[in-house]
Amino acid sequence: MGKSPNHLTLIVLGQITLLAVPVWADTTLVGVDVNPTSVSLRGPVARYSLLVTGKSESGNLLDLGGEAVFRSDSPEIVSIDEQGVVRPVADGDGMVVVEVAGRSLSVPVSVENSHSPREFSFVNDIMPLLDKKGCNGAGCHGKAEGQAGFKLSVFNSDPEADYEAIVMQGRGRRVFPGAVERSLLLLKVSGQRPHGGGRRMELSSPEYNTLRDWIAAGVPYGSDADSRVERITVTPGTRILSGNARQQLRVVAYYSDGRMRDVTHLAQYESNNPGLASVSATGLVTTKDRPGQVALRAGFMNQFDMFQALIPRSDRISIWPELAEHNFIDRHVYNKLRALNIVPSGVADDAEYLRRVYLDVIGTLPSAEEIRRFLSDSGQDRRSRIVDELLKRPEYADYWALKWSDVLRVEREALGHQRAYAYYKWVRDSFADNKPYDQLVRELITVEGALIDVPQAHFYGVEGEPGKIASRVSQTFLGLRIACAQCHHHPADIWSQTDYWGMQSFFTQVQTRDTPRGTVIFADGNPETKHPRTGEVVHPYPLGTDMPATAPVTDRRKVLADWMTSPDNAWFARNIANRMWAHFMGRGLIEPVDDLRATNPASNPELLDALSEHVVTNNYDLRELIRTITRSRVYQLTAQPNETNRLDEQNYSHANLRPLEAEVLLDAVCQVTGVAERFQGAPPGARAIQLWDSGVSHYFLKLFGRPVRKSACVCERVSEPNVAQALHVMNSPAIHQKLKHEGGTVARLHAMFPADSQLVEELYLAFFSRNPFDQERENGVAYLRSKPDRRRAAEDLAWSMMCSIEFIFRH
Amino acid sequence: MTSKRPFCDGIIRRDFLRVGAAGAFGFGATLPGMLEQQALATGTQTSGPQGPPGDVSVIYIFLLGGLSTIDTLDMKPNAPAEVRGEFSQIQTNVPGIEVCEHLPHTAQHADKFSLVRSFAHGDSGHGSGDKYMLTGYLQQERPAFGSVAAHEFGSRGGIPPYVVMPSMHPSAGPSFLGSAAAPFLIDADPSAPGFAVPDLAPPLDIDASRLADRRSVLGTVDRFRRHVDSRGEAGAYNKFRERAFALMTSAEAKRAFDIQRESESVRQAYGINTMGQSCLLARRLVQSGVRYVMINHNNWDTHANNFGDLKDNLLPQLDKALGELLRDLSDRGMLEKTLVLVSGEFGRTPKVNENAGRDHWGNCFTLALAGGGIQGGRVVGSSDKWAAKPDQNPIGPKDFAATMFHVLGVDSEKLVYTMDNRPVKLLDEGRRIHELL
Repeated sequence: MGKSPNHLTLIVLGQITLLAVPVWADTTLVGVDVNPTSVSLRGPVARYSLLVTGKSESGNLLDLGGEAVFRSDSPEIVSIDEQGVVRPVADGDGMVVVEVAGRSLSVPVSVENSHSPREFSFVNDIMPLLDKKGCNGAGCHGKAEGQAGFKLSVFNSDPEADYEAIVMQGRGRRVFPGAVERSLLLLKVSGQRPHGGGRRMELSSPEYNTLRDWIAAGVPYGSDADSRVERITVTPGTRILSGNARQQLRVVAYYSDGRMRDVTHLAQYESNNPGLASVSATGLVTTKDRPGQVALRAGFMNQFDMFQALIPRSDRISIWPELAEHNFIDRHVYNKLRALNIVPSGVADDAEYLRRVYLDVIGTLPSAEEIRRFLSDSGQDRRSRIVDELLKRPEYADYWALKWSDVLRVEREALGHQRAYAYYKWVRDSFADNKPYDQLVRELITVEGALIDVPQAHFYGVEGEPGKIASRVSQTFLGLRIACAQCHHHPADIWSQTDYWGMQSFFTQVQTRDTPRGTVIFADGNPETKHPRTGEVVHPYPLGTDMPATAPVTDRRKVLADWMTSPDNAWFARNIANRMWAHFMGRGLIEPVDDLRATNPASNPELLDALSEHVVTNNYDLRELIRTITRSRVYQLTAQPNETNRLDEQNYSHANLRPLEAEVLLDAVCQVTGVAERFQGAPPGARAIQLWDSGVSHYFLKLFGRPVRKSACVCERVSEPNVAQALHVMNSPAIHQKLKHEGGTVARLHAMFPADSQLVEELYLAFFSRNPFDQERENGVAYLRSKPDRRRAAEDLAWSMMCSIEFIFRH
Repeated sequence: MTSKRPFCDGIIRRDFLRVGAAGAFGFGATLPGMLEQQALATGTQTSGPQGPPGDVSVIYIFLLGGLSTIDTLDMKPNAPAEVRGEFSQIQTNVPGIEVCEHLPHTAQHADKFSLVRSFAHGDSGHGSGDKYMLTGYLQQERPAFGSVAAHEFGSRGGIPPYVVMPSMHPSAGPSFLGSAAAPFLIDADPSAPGFAVPDLAPPLDIDASRLADRRSVLGTVDRFRRHVDSRGEAGAYNKFRERAFALMTSAEAKRAFDIQRESESVRQAYGINTMGQSCLLARRLVQSGVRYVMINHNNWDTHANNFGDLKDNLLPQLDKALGELLRDLSDRGMLEKTLVLVSGEFGRTPKVNENAGRDHWGNCFTLALAGGGIQGGRVVGSSDKWAAKPDQNPIGPKDFAATMFHVLGVDSEKLVYTMDNRPVKLLDEGRRIHELL
C-alpha cells in the first residue's frame, strides 16, 4: 500500500517494455476497488471473476484488471487465475489477494460443497456450451438441414430435440457413457476426428471436462423442473472510457431457484458500433480511437443485458462556446457533445441551408430564382418560413410518397398496374393531406371494405401470408425485427417463437371476397394459431405483453392497432421519430432504423425520448416534426468539420455527407441542365420522384440504387457508390447531351451572360445552388478565357460541378 | 460418394496470403500482362487448379431461355421420334462421346471439355432456374458466383474483376455482398458496328486534351473532396471517381475492351454475331485480368420451332464461338487457367410439343465445362432413356456451385453476412464434381 502510484509507474517501466505503459500512467489514482469485496463459491464448478477498478483524480474509473497480479493466500481452499477468476479447491474460508498500482487488496472467499457430485442439467450445463462454441449456429449444425447429418436447433430453441440428436441419433456414436473419451461428440469438438468446424474445445479445458463429465454421468437430461435463467446482468453497466482503452465485463445469470452463476465465459457478445468499440468472446471490451456512445450486448440463454460506454475525445475543451439553442434538440445534442469534448461546427450559410432543406423536405433542388429570393430575404424567420412553404408544395407529397412506397412496397409486379397505382395514390394523398401518422398506420392495418374504396388494402396484397404481414408491421412501424422468431428464438432480442406467432395470429382473420363492388377485404372468424413446435394454441397478443386466455372476438387487428398507436407504446412513436431524424440528419439515433431492440440503445436516449414525446404531443403531425427538426441549430450546421469533431460520425456535430437518392439525383441532373427526361408510361414532364412504379425501366435509376421494393427494409435502397456510377456521370452520352443541349441551361446562360464573371456566377447558382467564392469565380473566369470556345468551356465547368461531391451529395 | 473426404473444405485456400486481394480494384495500377503470366503458369499438366486461390478465371456462357440439351449434348437417338427430335449425332474427337450434328466445331474440341449429363435442379421456371444456375440457391437471395469472385479476390490490376455482357441479368448481382462486388456491366452488343463499352470512354467530342482540362477543373471545383476521408460514402465516391479516371485513361483497359483491335480473321473465326463477339471479348477481358465474365445470351427459349431456330441460328453461332474460344484459349496457353462453362437455366422437355418446340425442363439437363483444371474428354453421370431425369450419379446445383468455388479457389465454407446480419456459409452443402477434376 505504501508506494505512490508514480513510484510504481517507474518500476513497471523499468521492468517491461515502453509499449506496456499501465493504463493509469498519466493519471494519479486516488483509489482502487475490487468487485466484489467478498466471494462465496458453491458447488464443484463455481467460478467468479473479480473486476479491478481504479479511480483517477478526475473521477474516471479505469479497468486495472490487465495490470493486476492475482494470487491466492489460501491455495488449499481457493485458486485464482491470471484473469482474476476465482475457483474452489476445497471447502472452507480463504483469501485471494489483488496487487495493483502499489496496492494490495484482499478478498475473502468462502467455499462450500466443492466436492459434492455435480448434478447436470442438459439445458443449463450443456446447451450453453454448444451455443458458445457456435455448434448450433446458422452456418453449422443449427441450419435447417443440419451439418453432416447432425442437426441442432438453432440458438437453443428446442432442447429436447437437441438432446435427442446428441444422445439417441447418429447410431448412438455421439456419446458413449461406457467409454467416454471415444464419444464422437468429444472427438469432434476437440479436433481429434476430422471436423468441418475445426477444433472448438481444447482437451481438458473446463468446457471439455464438463462435456466429458456429463457423458460419464450417463448423459442426464435433468428435469423440466430444473431452474431456468430468469435474467442476466452485466457489470459494470456503464463507464466513461478513453480511446484505445479496455474494460473487462462480468456477466452473471440469475436462475429461478435463486442461484446465481458467473457466465462471463459462456455469454455471447456483440457491439452495436464496431467502429467505436469491439468486444472479445471473453467479454473484454476494447475501444477504438473515435469518440461516441456504444453499447455492448451480452446474451445468455435468451436473456440479454448490455454495457454502455461513453468514449470522449481525450482533449478536454477548456471553454465550451456559448451556442444558441433554437429548441430542445440543440440542448440534448450539446449535452452529448460536451460530454464527448466535441465542439459542433458552425452554422451553414443561407445558401447551404436552402439546398439542404429543399433536398430533405421536397427531394428537389432550389432554382436559381428561388435561391436569389431567399438570399435577399432579410427576415429573421426566413429559415422557418421556407420550410412552411416547402411543406405545402406538391413535391412534398411526391417525395414522401416515394420514400414510403418503398417500405410499404408499392410493387407493380406483384399487384398489377391498376392496384399498385391506387395504392400509391393513397400513400401520396396521405402525405398531401398531412394525415396524422398514427391514423395512417391505423388505416393501413385495420383496412376493410372494397379495394376500390380502400386501396391501402394492397398492403395486404403484396405478400398476404399472416406471418409475413406481422413481420412487416413490426419492422416498419415498431422498428422490431421478429422474422427470425418464426423458426427460432430471436438471437439478439427477447422475442420467442410464441411472440412471433402471437403477432401472426392478429392477421389470420384477414380474407378477401369477390362482390359486385369488386374484391372486398375483411376480417372474420376465429382461426387458431398453433405453436409450430409445441402445438399449443397461441392467442393474439402484442409484443412485450402477456398472452390473454382467449382470442378477442372482434377484428383482432383493431386490438393491435389500439396497442400500437397508444401513447404508451414503447416503440411506435420512437420508431417514426428515429426514422424521420435519420432522414434529416443522415443517421438514426438508433441504427439500423428498424432495430429498436432494448440492447441497441439510442446514441442519445434523452433526445430520442424528447422527439417521441414531441410526436405524441403533436398528434403524430409529421410536418410539425419536420418543422421542429429543421428549426434546430443542429440541423443547420455545416458539413465542414473542425479539429474537435473530425472523427465524429455519430453525434451530429456537423452535417453528414450523403448521396442523393437515385430519383432525386436524376431530377437534379435534369433540373440543372434544363433538359427533362422522358419516362416510359409517365406523362411528359413527369419527374423521377413522381414515378410511382419502381420498375420503370431506367438505367440511371437502377445504377444509382433505386430499390425493387421486395422487402420492408430501408436497406434495400443502396447508397453505396460504385465505379459505374462515377463513369456514368462523367461519360454517359445522355448526360453529355443534356449539358450541350441547345435549349439547355449552359447554352441559355452562355447566351444571356456575356460577362464571364456573371456566367460563372450563374453556373454556380444553377449547379451548386450557391454563389461562387471569390477564388472560385476567378478560377472559372480564367478557365473561360483560356479557351477559344467559350460555350464549350462553360460546358466543362458545368460538367466538373456535376461530377463533384458537392453536387452528388447532400451536405 | 460423399464420405471419406478428410476435410470438406479442401486445402488450397486459407493458408495462402492473398496479397493485393483487398476488395475493389486498385486505382491507377497498370494491367499486368496476364497473358504472359498465364502462359508461364501453365507449364504443368496436372489436374486441379494450380497456384494460389483466385488464379483461375471463368467465362460463363449462359444460354438464357434454356438450351435444349436433349438435342445437343445428350442426344437420345434410340428414343421415339417425338422424343429424339430431328437432329442426328456426330462423333467428337473423343471416341464414345457424341454430340449434335450442328456442333461440328465444338465436336473437334471434346478432348478439352467434359459433359455432366446427370444434372438437375428440378425447377422449370425462368427466374428461379436462373437463380439456381447463377447463385447456387433458389430460396434465398444470394450473390452470383461472379460477385463472390469479385468479393473474395478483388481486381487484378486496374480492370473490374467481374463483367457481365451484353445485358444485365437479375440474378447476376452481388446481393448482400454490396455494390463493390457488383458486376461491371457492358450494356451493349460487341458485334454491333462501332461497339464501345458504354460510359467507359468520354463522348466522342471530348478528346484527351479536353478530358485533361475537365479533370483539372474538377480538381479545383470540388471543394468537398478536401475534407472527406476514406470512410463514408463521400470518401468512397471520391475513390471510385479516381478509379473511373484510371479506367478511362488506362491504355491497357482501353485495349482490353476494344474488340476492334482483333484482326478481321480472328473476329470472323468467332463469328460476327452477339455470341461470337461476346466470346471473343470475354477472352480479351480474361487475358487482361478480369476474373469472371458472364455472357448473358438470349433467345434460347425454344417453345416453338425448336429445331429450326437451333439449326439455323442458335447452334451455328454457339458452335463456332465455343469451338473457337476453346481452340484460342488452348493455343494461348490460357485454358488451364480459364474455366469455360456452357449452360442454360434448365434443359427442355423430352417430348416435342405441338409447336415443334420443347418446353422448360429443370428435371434433367447437361452442363458443359472446360479448362480451369477441369479434365476434358469425360462424361459424368447419365440421364435416363429419354433424358427425363438423371440416371447414374445425379448432380445438383450445389455440387455445381461447389465445383465452381473449388476451381475459383473460394472457401465455400466461409461465413458471410446477409442483409439482416444472419451469418451464412457461402455454400451450405454440395460436393465438388471430383470426376471432372
